[in-house]
Amino acid sequence: MKLSFKEMVFYIIPLPLIVASLFVGPSNVVNARDIFDWLTRSLSLSPAPDAQNKQMVEAIVLGVRLPRVLLAFSIGSALTVSGNSFQALFRNPLVSPDILGLSSGAAFGAAIALAFPLLPLQPMAFVFGLLAVGLSYFLALTRKGVSTVSLILGGIIVSGIFTALLTMVQFLTDPFKLQTIVHWTMGNLHNASWSKVRSSVLPILFGIGWLFVLRWRMNVIALGDEETRAVGLNPEKEKLLILIPATFIASASVAVAGMIGMVGLAVPHMVRMMTGPDNTKTQPVSIAFGGTFLLIVDNFSRTITSFEIPIGIFTTLIGGPFFIYLLKKSLMVYREL
Amino acid sequence: MGISVKNLDFGYADRRVLHNISLQAAEGRFTVILGKNGSGKSTLIKLMAGLLPFRTGYIEVFGRDIRKLTSAERARLIGYLSQFHSPAFPFLVEEVVLTGRASYVFSLPGREDLRKTDEAIDKVGINHLRQRPYTELSGGERQLVMIARVLAQGPQMILLDEPLSHLDLANQARFLALVKNLVAKGLTVVAVLHDPNTAFFYGDDFLFMKDGFIIGPEKNKDPWDPSTLTEVYGTKIDAVPFRGRSLVIPI
Amino acid sequence: MLGVFMLFLFGFSLCQKCDALEKKELITVTDFRGKQLKLEKPATRIVCLIESALSGLYMLGEEGRVIGIPANIYQGEVFQYYAAMDRRIKDRKLPSPGNWDFVNIESVLALKPDLVIIWSDQTESIAALEERGLPVFGVFINRKEDVYKEIIALGMLTGNLKRAEELVDYTKTEIGRFQERIRSIPDAKRQSIYYMWAQGNLETSCGNSTVNDLIELSGGRNACAFMPDEHLVVNMENVIAWNPDLIVMWYNEKKNPSDIIKDPQWQTIHAVRTGRVHELPEIFLCDLWTLKFHFVVKMVAKWAYPELFKDIDLDKEKTTMLKKLYQNKLKEL
Repeated sequence: MKLSFKEMVFYIIPLPLIVASLFVGPSNVVNARDIFDWLTRSLSLSPAPDAQNKQMVEAIVLGVRLPRVLLAFSIGSALTVSGNSFQALFRNPLVSPDILGLSSGAAFGAAIALAFPLLPLQPMAFVFGLLAVGLSYFLALTRKGVSTVSLILGGIIVSGIFTALLTMVQFLTDPFKLQTIVHWTMGNLHNASWSKVRSSVLPILFGIGWLFVLRWRMNVIALGDEETRAVGLNPEKEKLLILIPATFIASASVAVAGMIGMVGLAVPHMVRMMTGPDNTKTQPVSIAFGGTFLLIVDNFSRTITSFEIPIGIFTTLIGGPFFIYLLKKSLMVYREL
Repeated sequence: MGISVKNLDFGYADRRVLHNISLQAAEGRFTVILGKNGSGKSTLIKLMAGLLPFRTGYIEVFGRDIRKLTSAERARLIGYLSQFHSPAFPFLVEEVVLTGRASYVFSLPGREDLRKTDEAIDKVGINHLRQRPYTELSGGERQLVMIARVLAQGPQMILLDEPLSHLDLANQARFLALVKNLVAKGLTVVAVLHDPNTAFFYGDDFLFMKDGFIIGPEKNKDPWDPSTLTEVYGTKIDAVPFRGRSLVIPI
Repeated sequence: MLGVFMLFLFGFSLCQKCDALEKKELITVTDFRGKQLKLEKPATRIVCLIESALSGLYMLGEEGRVIGIPANIYQGEVFQYYAAMDRRIKDRKLPSPGNWDFVNIESVLALKPDLVIIWSDQTESIAALEERGLPVFGVFINRKEDVYKEIIALGMLTGNLKRAEELVDYTKTEIGRFQERIRSIPDAKRQSIYYMWAQGNLETSCGNSTVNDLIELSGGRNACAFMPDEHLVVNMENVIAWNPDLIVMWYNEKKNPSDIIKDPQWQTIHAVRTGRVHELPEIFLCDLWTLKFHFVVKMVAKWAYPELFKDIDLDKEKTTMLKKLYQNKLKEL
């Protein structure tokens, strides 16, 4: 399939952006010059005159910045791909992974883990995210299959239940743990480390790959259940095949970074506004653009202050206006359903 | 061979829709089903397309039991055109027609799929609409796109449920001409039509339904015999001879 | 006629004396919100919903006036200390109508208190109690001076100002014992200390905080002193750049110093390379919001300058402190 110029730009940007992001950071620490020196010295294998500084530069660039940059990119991709897939699956541009209760479930799982120190944080958030979606699906299941409306209703119920449970946990814990829970739900990348990259990248790659294989089939589902059946696909099976990996990667993302708003809902829109609804284009562009978006936002958030502000605040404040701009330009007109 | 239905019963929890239906739609011919609203025509067509599950009865498509076919196998044998579509996303016409190839594609459509799509768009004569968003088309234009999709699907039989409902006169004529053309080339077509006159002038074989039963046509009479039609439609029908057949009019 | 007039005068002057007597007995205390509390006599039915203030009341020896305690006394490791000091708590007989987060107004009222001690930012609960005429003492601890202020106020409210002043003097003396030595440490040799809260490795306290006081009193420099925030989350890069010499962890259920020492991102930091990562052992003993904080100062000073303070025997210091603060109530422990 031929690539337009716009698409080429999206696919080319990520790699240089990732490298450039390594040079960016809070201003009173290592600066770009230091990194450049370190790079050239490492490559030319000449002895470093300042061992102490070299160690610090390495520690910061390789130990702090690189995992964070990779994490930001992969989570941005994962959430965008997940959102795009959910929107195709539900035939509704207004849904996001949260619609089936994923965020509420994951937040509840994390809250319990934070309240009871013996439980591990990431796995709990991950498992409860999946559980919430599974529960919504189960609630919506009838002999005839699963309709979009019943799934959304199931999601609302499950979301409500987990939010109530979350509030209860928050209410019963001490103020320090409560603060931690609240911070976690705001979304953060400041604890990015190689161990987080290791634990999240594999499920994310797997899920994105799976959805990538199914990208054209999302177009088929978009026309309706009966229409899907008529051309030889089983709509229930296809929906499940999309739901599972989409939930997986969203849950893995939330488990390592908390809840980051806007990326699962508005960024797929932005992608669609730029490429059209054909999922053979939206999926790969979602990977590239979603990752780019979150990376740029995170670069911004970690340079302007020396203390950490939850990234969810930035994604909304930066993504929101850009989204409005695109909407106003009416690059794509959405019909009333 | 074509499609044959034997002793088919169908209903929902509270009511019975079809009673002991048996019929034969011959291969390579244009069979038309006629009847009042609510006589069960749409349900019958859907069952024949394999879109509804049933328990009592037997449906055989080109010699194979419909219940034993996989979704993909079924789609390669039977194409179904449904009534109305309101998609959420503005896919382009050519993208919509391409989805007809779903039973032949694993991940991404190949060259063959693209070629068949082009052919189908050509045959239906909607090349000028290729790059238009489907959501911006009129009801009639959308119908044509869905027809192209069924053609791209390339089945051996097409089942149509009131395919002319949104088409203007010119497009109706064009569509029926296309169907006649395809039937001449070997396609089996079964259609539910609203208007008996259209049916009689384009169709080859006919079936009448009333209240979930098949009631005709009777063996020794013409399908356009007014007494039969009066029975079918429950209103007095008169006939006027026209070009070897008859035009029928309610009075 | 004159007699009646004389009687009036006499009565009048007596009443003036009465007024003066009343004025003398009126206890006036300003709480941390800036609100003035006026009590006619020392409080005898105190509902105290703050653990650190409660420990202060025990130090004053005025626990007999306490009729309500915070709910968390019955949970966690502080329970053993209070159970040893107070039969009522050991038997779980003392009501606990509230906490830092919630206050059951009905339960508090049912106890008929004449004084409620609560965090000053629990504004709704305070309003609900004050509406019903209860004196409420709101507390907010930010610096060590606030700890002194609190104990003095508690002393006044319980009519035992003498003991409160005694305790403050004792604490200041303890702090002062090593200030000479600390002042003698040259600037170049001052240890930079990074304080780690239990919520996360990157959560610390900077400028205006009891943590900062702690660090400075023990002769160190707060790694992030240049930022004024009491509690904030910092960037990992900054911690690497600050390169602290010593890391002090608040009591942490989930992590130990060995977890920090093993963490790959912390490897280049001086404190980790030299194995100088320590965790405060207990909440009750190391509570920075009570007069026990001088014990933590000694502990941290010893970690920061082991040679200079090698004569400090922490166990002995602990025993002496507990005896002085709580008299013999904690003998068994």
